[in-house]
Amino acid sequence: MSRALRPWLAGAAALALVPALGPSSFFLHVAILILMWTLLGAAWNVLGGFAGQVSFGHASLFGIGAYVTIILYLKAGLPPWWGIPLGGLAAAVASLPIGLVCFRLRGPYFSLATLAVAEIVKLVALNWEAVTNGPVGFLITGLPPLRLLGATVDWESKVPFYAVAAVLALAGLAATAWLARSRLGAYLVAIRENEDAAEAVGIDTVRAKVTTLALSAFLAGLGGGFYAFYFRYVDPDAVLNISLSMEMVFIAMVGGLGTVGGPLIGAVFLTTVGETVRERFQVGHLIFYGLFMMLAIRYMPEGIWGRLRKLVASLQSRVPGHGAA
Amino acid sequence: MALLELDGLTRTFGGLRAVGDLSFSVAQGEILGLIGPNGAGKTTVFNLITGYVQPTAGRIRLDGKSMVGLRPHAVARRGIARTFQIVKPFPGLTVRENVTLAAFLRHPARRDAEAAAMDVLGRLGLAARAGDLASQLTLMDQKRLEVAKALATGPRLLLLDEPMGGLNPSEVDVASGMVESIRRAGVTVVLVEHVMKAIMRISDRVVVVNQGEKIAEGPPAQVVREPAVLAAYFGKRAG
Repeated sequence: MSRALRPWLAGAAALALVPALGPSSFFLHVAILILMWTLLGAAWNVLGGFAGQVSFGHASLFGIGAYVTIILYLKAGLPPWWGIPLGGLAAAVASLPIGLVCFRLRGPYFSLATLAVAEIVKLVALNWEAVTNGPVGFLITGLPPLRLLGATVDWESKVPFYAVAAVLALAGLAATAWLARSRLGAYLVAIRENEDAAEAVGIDTVRAKVTTLALSAFLAGLGGGFYAFYFRYVDPDAVLNISLSMEMVFIAMVGGLGTVGGPLIGAVFLTTVGETVRERFQVGHLIFYGLFMMLAIRYMPEGIWGRLRKLVASLQSRVPGHGAA
Repeated sequence: MALLELDGLTRTFGGLRAVGDLSFSVAQGEILGLIGPNGAGKTTVFNLITGYVQPTAGRIRLDGKSMVGLRPHAVARRGIARTFQIVKPFPGLTVRENVTLAAFLRHPARRDAEAAAMDVLGRLGLAARAGDLASQLTLMDQKRLEVAKALATGPRLLLLDEPMGGLNPSEVDVASGMVESIRRAGVTVVLVEHVMKAIMRISDRVVVVNQGEKIAEGPPAQVVREPAVLAAYFGKRAG
């Protein structure tokens, strides 16, 4: 047990050290983005990586989380520490009907259905002005005063957001680790490998997929809620854009599908590459981003984390005393 | 009472009657051969029993309880397991993992499921392959794995869809012995098979279908002499 917890404690400690090093606000901003994308990559990975159900519509779940969180704050005065989990919960509840419709389809047809659902959600957000403010969206002008450990939290600093993002990212990875060891996780791998054969051995594939989509949606909704408070601005273009869905796919793929650490690695690489080239080349920076994606997929189809794991395994097998030749 | 009863089972695909008014029953402890020419509807019968295809009309009962409308996983839970003619392993997983997934149905704890899986693999002579990826097995071993997965779900009735297709004569003998040992372990077997040598040797009773309808039923040696069966396989004698 303690052995399994060790990497988690080390990771948490490393994350806790970062603000103490007095980093620039840009560095912290990038770190926050990495952590948010780790959470979102993990959200997509439980469904796409483990169950092999490729969703192109996760922006809708992210957006539902963002909208619910910001509306609860602005209309009902609900602070972030309630609003963000409720945003996740709302996305999970919304995922149930989405799953029941889309999981009737398999493979590419499922993927296209999720794309369609995401567009529908976006159109609803644009046109249901009474609730969503339509294309104008919502803006947060001030955050609630909070005293923690005898000090007033400074919402203008990035440190509190960094702390929240770190907790959320770790929660996302911990949920993945739990899934990887659970019976549900084994069922998902069976569904990914062969859905008919999974049913034949008694696995309720619809239930397993709907449950996993709800978990995935919860994590994506948490990410959306965090986004709302960090950027303080929510409108359909910002939180329901198809590019968000694609980014989640890329992060999970580059990191390593169906692995626990993959989303973290994918988020580190893609966010760093993305932000660096964005600064250097204001025009056309996406070309470099795309090039990096192509190289990563061409030369590391199992993802960076998957490749590292293989490397470690082959090194271990060469060390005497580690068995296998 | 019979373990499995089919009564007036019918399934049409558009204008095509794949299975028409088919009735037969399977007794507890029996090995029943289900034979017929290609396209006779044998696999469709399996798909109907296991919930992959829903019947247009008719009844399916296991121990007197209706099975119509159940999804495949629910059919497996009730105690009917099947294999597929074209094997469907989980290719990226090891043999042990493949069978453990099936054993989860009766053993929710991973350790129990793994033990049950190893037990089945031992009985089918696959224990030495436990650590190999399913995709790396020979055809014979893939067919064994298919049966191992089905057995690991703890069935009362096992439906085998051409377990001997593509095997050489000595492998067919081994596979026949395997089916007999499964029956000795208390599992009732329905077998779709084209290898007549195996059908003649191991089945207690044979049901012959042609164009979705039953044309003969009885002990194998008697059934293969019936004119209707010969006509279905070889056509009618000219002149």
